[in-house]
Amino acid sequence: MSALGSAIRRPEAAAVISLIGIIAFYAIFGGVDLGKLFGAASWVNFAANLGIVAIPVGLLMISGQLDISIGAMIPAGSMTVAILSGYYELPIVVGMLGALGLGVLVGLVNGILTVRTTVPSLIITLGTLVAMQGVVLAGAKLLTGAASVPLAAPEWAKFLFGRLIGNSHQVAIVWWLLFAAVLGFVVHRTKYGNWLFAMGGDRESARNAGIPVDRMTIGLFVLSATSAAFVGMCGAILFNSAQVSGGMNYIFNSVVCVVVGGVLLTGGYGSVIGIFIGTLTFAIVNQGIYFTDIDRNWANLIIGVTLLIAVAMNGTFREFALSLGPRKIKKGGQANV
Amino acid sequence: MSRQSDSRSFPVSLGSIARRPEAGSLVGLVIVYTFFAILGGAVFIGAPGWSSWLNIAAEVGIVALPVGLLMIAGELDISVGSVIPASSMTAAIVSGHYELPAVVGIVAALGVGLLVGFVNGYLVVRTRIPSLIVTIGTMFAVMGLTLGFAVLISGSTSVFLVPDPVTKTVLGAFIGGMFNVSMFWWAGFAVAIFYLLHVSPIGNWIFAVGGDRESAHNAGIPVKWLTVSLYMLSGFAAAFVGVLQLMTYQSAQVAAGQSFIFNSIMCVVIGGVLLTGGAGSVIGIVIGTMTFAIVNQGIFFSGLDPNVGSLIIGALLLGAVLSNDTFRKLALNYATKKS
Amino acid sequence: MNKFSRIAATVSTVAIAACVATSVMAADIFVIGGKPDDPFWSRVKKGAEDAGVVAEAQGGSVTWLGPQNYDNLGPDAAELIRQAIDQGADAIVGPDWVPEAMDPAFEAVVAAGIPLVIYNAGGIEAADRLGAMNYVGAVDYKSGYAGGEYLGSAGHKNGACVNTLPGAANIEAFCNGFNDGIKAAGGTGSVLQLPATAFGDATAVAQAVRAHLLQNPDIDAMFAIGDGDTNATVSGISQAGKAGKVHVCGMNFNDSILNNIQQGTQDCAIDQQGYQQGFFAVSILNNFVNYGVTIPTREILTGPGVIDASNVDLVIEGVKAGAR
Repeated sequence: MSALGSAIRRPEAAAVISLIGIIAFYAIFGGVDLGKLFGAASWVNFAANLGIVAIPVGLLMISGQLDISIGAMIPAGSMTVAILSGYYELPIVVGMLGALGLGVLVGLVNGILTVRTTVPSLIITLGTLVAMQGVVLAGAKLLTGAASVPLAAPEWAKFLFGRLIGNSHQVAIVWWLLFAAVLGFVVHRTKYGNWLFAMGGDRESARNAGIPVDRMTIGLFVLSATSAAFVGMCGAILFNSAQVSGGMNYIFNSVVCVVVGGVLLTGGYGSVIGIFIGTLTFAIVNQGIYFTDIDRNWANLIIGVTLLIAVAMNGTFREFALSLGPRKIKKGGQANV
Repeated sequence: MSRQSDSRSFPVSLGSIARRPEAGSLVGLVIVYTFFAILGGAVFIGAPGWSSWLNIAAEVGIVALPVGLLMIAGELDISVGSVIPASSMTAAIVSGHYELPAVVGIVAALGVGLLVGFVNGYLVVRTRIPSLIVTIGTMFAVMGLTLGFAVLISGSTSVFLVPDPVTKTVLGAFIGGMFNVSMFWWAGFAVAIFYLLHVSPIGNWIFAVGGDRESAHNAGIPVKWLTVSLYMLSGFAAAFVGVLQLMTYQSAQVAAGQSFIFNSIMCVVIGGVLLTGGAGSVIGIVIGTMTFAIVNQGIFFSGLDPNVGSLIIGALLLGAVLSNDTFRKLALNYATKKS
Repeated sequence: MNKFSRIAATVSTVAIAACVATSVMAADIFVIGGKPDDPFWSRVKKGAEDAGVVAEAQGGSVTWLGPQNYDNLGPDAAELIRQAIDQGADAIVGPDWVPEAMDPAFEAVVAAGIPLVIYNAGGIEAADRLGAMNYVGAVDYKSGYAGGEYLGSAGHKNGACVNTLPGAANIEAFCNGFNDGIKAAGGTGSVLQLPATAFGDATAVAQAVRAHLLQNPDIDAMFAIGDGDTNATVSGISQAGKAGKVHVCGMNFNDSILNNIQQGTQDCAIDQQGYQQGFFAVSILNNFVNYGVTIPTREILTGPGVIDASNVDLVIEGVKAGAR
């Protein structure tokens, strides 16, 4: 009974239930062949690319901030590496550093503006989102004269960033797992994690407790913009070309993954494993529907309903947790302070 | 020093103009218009240029006004992006596919908007889920329902409707062959919402709720009723734009309207309303919408790469954000100095 | 009567059962195409599904895979191709929209020994390069060319192609074809590029067209890459006060396009006959997988067909009959 209670008090509880619920729903109403579904690469590839962005976006949300500029950073990363290494034929390392450097730069702008002004980060990153879209599209046109730039990456770069393992699974899956493991460790086992939850819980008292709130915030924005550029870069290397449009879906999709994963937008509550499971759930809803008899047309309805149910569950579980063991809240939410 | 004394001697001082929420956005509007007037030349300054950006401004403006009210009250509405196609599809199916009178289709379409708005508002006030998340959820759900039902009922993803002359004149005509009637509806919405926000007592309630929800509640303001009403208003406005688009282009497409989500927020922010709630004005939102539309259309008159437009809008947005912040700090400093 | 129908039912059941039993492998055919909510693609999908009725009667199936949107077309479509392989496809139909991104996925299809037909985009060159069985579809360049030639020979010499999806290879080909077609008829061509965010937003397209026409008053011919865009272009022209002065052709058609042509606000529509693309691509593969029969004709062209005032009534009859 207490084991169940403590399991349900964890932030990822609702995410796990959503995941199981969706698979059960597809199995019962969609006649899905589970063997085929789990053997398929498509939704895992989808999840990996989304997941690499969703984790830092989730950490930002835990700290009480939003970043929607990632929607422009994905094509920006892909375009930068393609222009530098494809069009100008510079070594691929230069292109990759350029892409990631651009991510760092935009992250710094987002972070510094958020810290220095009283404007909500949603609005600030909306500004950088639109500005970067313009920079990328106009820049590509200006420099290369085309909206689509081909790129031929050398073998080693393809092996590391743009390979298909077993001819189907993108190497981004490995990066995603690695990313989740490292950030999971940092968030749940180091002081930075405690700072993060403290910031999201109450920014002012975190500052008073001596936590470098501003530096942490800027660092998180840099992390999310760079991860988005990384995803774009991997895409360009894998598919041998960069496309200037794209990425806008990642904005709402990543927020949905994070929220289904049990993070509260109000901040201070969530876990990396929850975000990971939330991303899996989203990918199965979105891509797994092809494996069912359900018409693809209804996928968005299922996503919307899943999201609302998941948030409602998160809220309920959280209240349940609060009422069950007031002394233990910190265990689930704040990673053993 | 001399400026300081100036500002004391006149009733309408520089300081008080700068402190008005729409001050920064008016400066932005003037700069942007001058810039494109120089590049665009006579055509842009003349009636064709005006109608060109006013047509764009009208549609996004009708949505931006209630979205702005919500933002003043501290809430967001993402679902407008899927209410627009849902409403035009509803009207097209009712009046085009089933061939019922246009009025029935329009009423049904606006009803869809009100219903989605009610669901949004109800979920926001009953649960403690942030409105961003709630409206993302309803956005996805409405999108799925629109696509699913359109294919189920009409077997197609685009439905056609030839409106009767009266409906076409009222909702989808071009006056002088260039000015879309939508801009008069926009003006109507602006006047009504101006009255609501700046004249009627409800306006004070909205500012109060945006400033501090708890104390507004304690002061006896019907916070829940107000929030639900504002969401129904934005759902209604989005549905209205859907009807306008249907009557203008005579066809409803399942995939449309997504661009309105961020565009409406941008218009509101350029107009000086911040998401922090509790501050903003209808005139500011109208100015922001005009600025946004001038950049979007002016770019085609200017001979610049169309994508430079996004860059300018992004810069304007950040500029608006920063100047608002600066003006606000200025205002606060001034106020404290005075007292 | 009753008895007869019972016998007929029994016979047909036996016939189907025999079919299922004798076919070595029932064909599970996967078709990669556009968004399910795209009007043009819903017609291609209908063609594929109608051909699928035969495949289903023989124990097989037809599954449609389409991207959620066109923001990230190449990689998304490549992903769908891989998904079809994952799901154990016996045959695959796909368009080669963005060769750089999609060719590796098509190569994986051929490497896995799965019969492949390229349709809608890429042309016979793509089919040859990738080792596909055939190409079914219109040639984009030729479709655009037909539009340019039509307007050019009608005496409209200064053309502009409205590109709402810059970067996609097939759309660029429409515009190149249009410009070459109008040049061949003695005119000049240019391209009006819109930001990708304008795709599907009729007001944005109409106002952009209008602004472009006001700024470039010499233009007297326009070409749009899809039916929605054509409608918006027609509206933009009339708002610019240029109705009757600027002539329009557009790719694809629907009820309102046919209405435009009847009323004279649009000169012609170039039809690539999407229903045929889905129908024939699936039929070719189904017959090949089940019976090993092939179509020796390489490059099966389904277009361009020009619809104008001279044949629009016939086309409307075809629409009513459900054939177009």
